[in-house]
Amino acid sequence: MIDADLERELDRRFPSAWELYRKTAESRELEVSAANRGEAWRREEGWAVRWWDGGLRFATGSDRQRLAAAIPLAGKLPGRAEPAPPFPTGGLNPEGGQIPLQPDDPAAAVAAPPDLFAPLAQLVSEKSRGEAVLASLTLRRGRAVEEIRNSAGGRVRMESSSQLDGIARALGRRGPRICERRSVFRWDGEPDLQGVAGRLADGATLPLASRGPTFSRGAWLLDPAIAASFLAALAPLFCADALPLWVKRAEIASRRVTIADDASRDAPFDGEGTPTRRVVLVEDGVLASRLHDLRSAARAGRFSTGHGVRPSYRNPPRPGPRRLFFETAGGVSPRELLAGVARGVFARALTAPVFVDLDADRYEIEFTGVALSGGRASEPLAGARVSGRISELLARITQVATDRQFFPMPYPVGAPTILVERVNFE
Amino acid sequence: MEFDEALVARWLEPLVAGRGDIAEVFAETRRKTIVEWRDAEPGDAQVSIEAGVSARQRRGGRERIAFVSGSGEAAIREAVRALQASAKKTAPPSRPAPARADFDPGSSTERWVRRLETILARHAPRHRLRWSHEEISRHVVPLGSAASASTRRLFSVEGSFTAASRRVDETRSFSFHAPEADATADELRQALAAAAAARERPVSFGDGAVDVLFSGATAAVLFHEILSHALEADAGETPLSRLAAARISVSDLDVRDDPTRLDLFGGYERDDEGTRPRAIKLLDAGRLAGTLTDRAHADARGSSGHGRRAGPADAPLPRSSNTIVAAGAATSEEMIRRLGNGLWIEEIGSGTIELSSGRFRLAFPRGRRVRRGRFADEIGAGFLAGEILPTLSAVEPVIGRDVRICRSLGWCSRGGFVVPVQGEAPEVIVRRLSVRDR
Repeated sequence: MIDADLERELDRRFPSAWELYRKTAESRELEVSAANRGEAWRREEGWAVRWWDGGLRFATGSDRQRLAAAIPLAGKLPGRAEPAPPFPTGGLNPEGGQIPLQPDDPAAAVAAPPDLFAPLAQLVSEKSRGEAVLASLTLRRGRAVEEIRNSAGGRVRMESSSQLDGIARALGRRGPRICERRSVFRWDGEPDLQGVAGRLADGATLPLASRGPTFSRGAWLLDPAIAASFLAALAPLFCADALPLWVKRAEIASRRVTIADDASRDAPFDGEGTPTRRVVLVEDGVLASRLHDLRSAARAGRFSTGHGVRPSYRNPPRPGPRRLFFETAGGVSPRELLAGVARGVFARALTAPVFVDLDADRYEIEFTGVALSGGRASEPLAGARVSGRISELLARITQVATDRQFFPMPYPVGAPTILVERVNFE
Repeated sequence: MEFDEALVARWLEPLVAGRGDIAEVFAETRRKTIVEWRDAEPGDAQVSIEAGVSARQRRGGRERIAFVSGSGEAAIREAVRALQASAKKTAPPSRPAPARADFDPGSSTERWVRRLETILARHAPRHRLRWSHEEISRHVVPLGSAASASTRRLFSVEGSFTAASRRVDETRSFSFHAPEADATADELRQALAAAAAARERPVSFGDGAVDVLFSGATAAVLFHEILSHALEADAGETPLSRLAAARISVSDLDVRDDPTRLDLFGGYERDDEGTRPRAIKLLDAGRLAGTLTDRAHADARGSSGHGRRAGPADAPLPRSSNTIVAAGAATSEEMIRRLGNGLWIEEIGSGTIELSSGRFRLAFPRGRRVRRGRFADEIGAGFLAGEILPTLSAVEPVIGRDVRICRSLGWCSRGGFVVPVQGEAPEVIVRRLSVRDR
């Protein structure tokens, strides 16, 4: 646990300009393939101190001793002059001043993930009509306790437990042709084996089709997984100090698009101890707000929005999304979206990572899917590519569905099926 | 990071039931310094000191690993106890033993910061670069063989800088990775100067099939993707499976994976299972020659010493290290003439491969068009793509004579596990790769 001696020492050396973070985590992982089975149990501890002594310094250690050794080493390094931002005060202190974190906490055992390889393998085989096999499935479950204290008296303690998340890999085969596909998923509730199996089966077998789209222009339906990948690629836009030149006006998307970030169901505070709150980033197509941590807020003369993100105790907090998603309140069912497509393509799985160049207003998405005609699927497509201006793509989103799903990227990103009109396919 | 190796080995004994079973303890201490540089001024600075231990048991196709932050006998005991509890074996006795401090406060980082300030100000004064310096000490206690310990110091500079082209300033990416050595600063200086050289404004190359001359050691990246990864023993089914000893490329081509090259970023004295590594021929005169193995995938000769971990929390996997392409006899001028019409590539930003199908993709930030054996237009960023076997069979039977180290190749991620790698290569020509503009 964080002891008062360490706080006093930090107060003495860096008065009014320090922040202390500690994380302990326990996790279990199960990796299963047809021939092998791997189990892992991990208990990790990490300490981090951030302080402003002329410039910003950051030191971390896997225990208190190593943290103490890292602080003077970081203090010797040069830095660029910068004042400390105002730290959040108060916080969550459930026992009136004493943070009840035991030295060996988190002691409660994390349940081992279930072995779902066999049922998922069965579903992948069924959905692909025997053309795809599940190669491996890794499932993970964990629990973490985080403590944050700062020189302004802010004290926060948070416990979080992740539900099941993992990665599955499938191989599709048709004659001599083979295709491999991975699916990364996170289940906040019951395991969605059907959804994962469907994505794996389509992703591993659709690229084996004989040809790409036979038409060059039409409507484009994006599967929630692809729409989420695109949204994650756009995320730096919501944290940038300066917006790219193409964002000249506040209207950056069609009126159907509302994007928000709200991690209040995951944690009451961010990685700097600022309370979590909902921030609407794009409202009815208009850029409405942006995400701040303490430093970026101080630079912009604003308050933190509660988006100081620590991917690990090893990294200093940075502004970033925590649970980013498309709003779907005004959406329609995916069936209605599909029925309205006279000619187009349903992008079902990515065949390469989404590429975006925010400064240059360019994107490129390579995918596999099915051709749509008269509101129905007509034939599988081996591969297709859509590229162009991000601003045009956002402006041509004509409808969102209600089937929003969240994907770990690595923070949760939620997207429904999305319809984009007047797209050129390559 | 000291502990009683014999005592730890005794704790591991109950985890092994028969021949072929593996039980080991792995301990790592890592000290990392990072300084963000912006326009020759140091910005945010950070120092990290971490220690972690893991205990591992492998029996048949079943593997268990238990990881605990910390060092010394207390942490090792906790990891072994967790492993034994899951294997339902008698746990080692619990007794408190304080962890020893295992970090050396002495550091070369301050000296490096002073040097970098000078180098960056002179060769790339406008930049956003991240410098990192890592000292990684590893200690392996495998049951049944001798314990080993080793230390590596790794140096990286990555980011972008603004360089003057003949018409307008442009942002160029830069990455440099090397084990810390006396010559590292000079090498960095040369690499930066070369990267900052004035260039013409790039034009589009267009999409299609093209003959490519891999210059500047970029052939090491190509063969790292299409040979080293495909010959990692746990790669599963790849286009190279079931082709043992088959001739798949020109007889002039020799490629090996050599972890013993400590002057390269991917080198090491012992692998992460404690095995002394050996160089493995991947392609011997165009014939498939070997695979990269760890203890779990060893053949009759035992592990080749390629069992590598991303960190103490991860299990070891057979991974490549330094991809070395043997020199041929042709000069650069002969190689350009031999290319005739095509694309000359001196930098590769990243590479990916899908092992099951053998399809790969290499992203290059720039290149030069070659017409009738002479340099023509500067070409902008694009992708090269192909498949393993057609690419290997399309290697031109003339290899360059000057071998260079590919310092831009430094970290390789497979399945999220990142290990240091590198390579060196002469110039190599490959016919009819797919090229596409970005």
